Amino acid sequence: MITIKNLSHDFVIGKKGRQTIIPVLRDISFTVEKGEIVTIVGRSGSGKSTLLNLVSGFIHPKEGEIWIGGEKVSELNEAKFADFRIKNLGFIFQSFQLIPSMTAFQNVELPLILKGVNENVRKQQTEEMLKKVGLLDYQDHYPGELSGGQQQRVSIARALIVNPPLILADEPTGSLDSETEEELLQFIKELNRDLGITFLIITHDDQVADIGNRKIELLDGRIVEGVLV
Amino acid sequence: MRLRDQFRFVRQNMKKNRTRVFMTILATAMGCAFLIVLASVGFGLQKSVVKEMTEQRVITQIDVHGQETNEKGGFRQLTDKDVKIFEKVKDVKAVTRRKQLQQESTYTIGNYQEPTQTFVANFPSEVKAGFELSKGKLPKSKDEVVVGYNFLLNLASKDAGDDMYDERGQVKAEYRYTGKLLGEKIGLTVTQFKDGKQVEKTIPLTVVGISKKPTKDWAQDSSVFISDEMLKEIEAFTGTPKGFMLDQNGEKPQGLEAGYDTYDEVKIYAKDMEAVQSISDQLKEEKYATYSVVNELKEVNMVFMIAKAGLIFIGTIAILIASIGIYNTMTMAVTERAPDIGIMKAIGANPKTIKRIFLLESSYIGLIGALIGTAVSYVISYTVNFAIPLIIKQAFGKETEINLIFSDIPLILPIICVVICYGVTIISGLRPAQRATKVDVLKAMRREV
Repeated sequence: MITIKNLSHDFVIGKKGRQTIIPVLRDISFTVEKGEIVTIVGRSGSGKSTLLNLVSGFIHPKEGEIWIGGEKVSELNEAKFADFRIKNLGFIFQSFQLIPSMTAFQNVELPLILKGVNENVRKQQTEEMLKKVGLLDYQDHYPGELSGGQQQRVSIARALIVNPPLILADEPTGSLDSETEEELLQFIKELNRDLGITFLIITHDDQVADIGNRKIELLDGRIVEGVLV
Repeated sequence: MRLRDQFRFVRQNMKKNRTRVFMTILATAMGCAFLIVLASVGFGLQKSVVKEMTEQRVITQIDVHGQETNEKGGFRQLTDKDVKIFEKVKDVKAVTRRKQLQQESTYTIGNYQEPTQTFVANFPSEVKAGFELSKGKLPKSKDEVVVGYNFLLNLASKDAGDDMYDERGQVKAEYRYTGKLLGEKIGLTVTQFKDGKQVEKTIPLTVVGISKKPTKDWAQDSSVFISDEMLKEIEAFTGTPKGFMLDQNGEKPQGLEAGYDTYDEVKIYAKDMEAVQSISDQLKEEKYATYSVVNELKEVNMVFMIAKAGLIFIGTIAILIASIGIYNTMTMAVTERAPDIGIMKAIGANPKTIKRIFLLESSYIGLIGALIGTAVSYVISYTVNFAIPLIIKQAFGKETEINLIFSDIPLILPIICVVICYGVTIISGLRPAQRATKVDVLKAMRREV
């Protein structure tokens, strides 16, 4: 599903003439098979978020290749990556990233609007998805009117609405209490088992890391040897 | 993303800051109304002038005054030879030519008289050009004449005093000849100085026809058309071409003899308005002095076109000023919505879609502004046309002499305004829209923009 080959990335900080290059990822290579749940763990500053942002296409790698579903996404431009993203990727963010001026229904419907889906089909699919995450009764609520767990479920519903084969999750339980965290992890497992959705999850939480088929640990921008399960 | 959804997005976004959007639309509407009203004055005045010009003259008529004979401004009057040349020119419908009696001729019937102008006309060509009779027939013999439609109205009693005219300049009913005119004998009195004495001759003529009422209400036709043979008889009496009246000494001015057989009034009638220009051009090449209302219209339209372009330009400045408001509103919108844009980009919104949404929003503001501005300018235009004549009447105590149109909004004007407004709003929305596509997803999601 995902193949990373010799991926390296660094950030340039400081003003022109006094710039400092900070290496973040160094020669990373690994694969994620279809239907797997792979978790990436590591301390703060280990480069795990950068790795996810590179796979998501939010930043461009300096070196190396990223392949998703047979497509070399590391070479796609912004517009082409946007089209690829809407068809193939779902995102779950730590801080949910819901649009506050839109209701739960509108937030879940948004990817379908961007995809150009017919209004009637959209309505039906969005309602089904909200029902699936148990929020049909809250469809007209704005994010500010929902609890953290409910917001994350809206965020998951938004990620699932386009039936993506791969979901990228960045600290999905970071803003949730332990009970809601447990529920969410259970839901991720169900989605993986029932729908065969592949998950690449970034976390520093051991409980989250343990739900994966494999765990990759990053340390100072490198994969720590011997931790691949 | 479907266009319908894009419009829905734009409407939702606009609702988020109603006051700011309303003020921007208001500024755009004011700019558009200013442009339309300003230019409408040019259109209105042009319409008035053109209407006035075309009402007074036949549009297909070309007046030919003579021909230049040399570079120094030498000029000669036209003769039958010239008329024959004109008749051969392509798209010429008719060439009318008239000789005018060169003295004030007085006509009498019983105790009534009327001083008026006398012409010799070529009736076949006059008929071709549109001359019609209201009564009677065209003259055939030497002493038969056709009189103008208003001749009868101005035939006044010899006993009438200075108060014989009414406020419209017509002879009052009590002094007017009320008898029959058609078939009646009228006397034409011509005068000449002979041996220092004024000698008169009265020639009996028969009225056989009365011309049709002039199409223009204000036009007066009291002229009398005599035959060429009759003119020759008058010339024999006066001893001068076309009955020219000499002074008491009987001296003939230089070049007077050349006046025989020349025409005083030659008019060419083109088949249609489009042919007027080509006929005029051909005649000008042959050094004929011509005048046509089409040529004059061309010049007038050119002057008004420049004036209107200037007014539209000034009006455009108002729209440009309004566009600064649009630019500001859109820039604010992009800044405020940067986090939302970031989220949309993160879940797969194409930069082109985001650009389109913002361009749509700025053009939406521009178009609504233009439509409101157009509606307001129509109201202003009607009010101006209604109120200004009243104000003039109140202030000066009389109505305007010509029927002035102070403001006219032809369909092209709102179209020009909407096109300018749309163009300007697209340009002013372009940079903010471009900025929206450049929003960094990660910064936006961290609320750092």
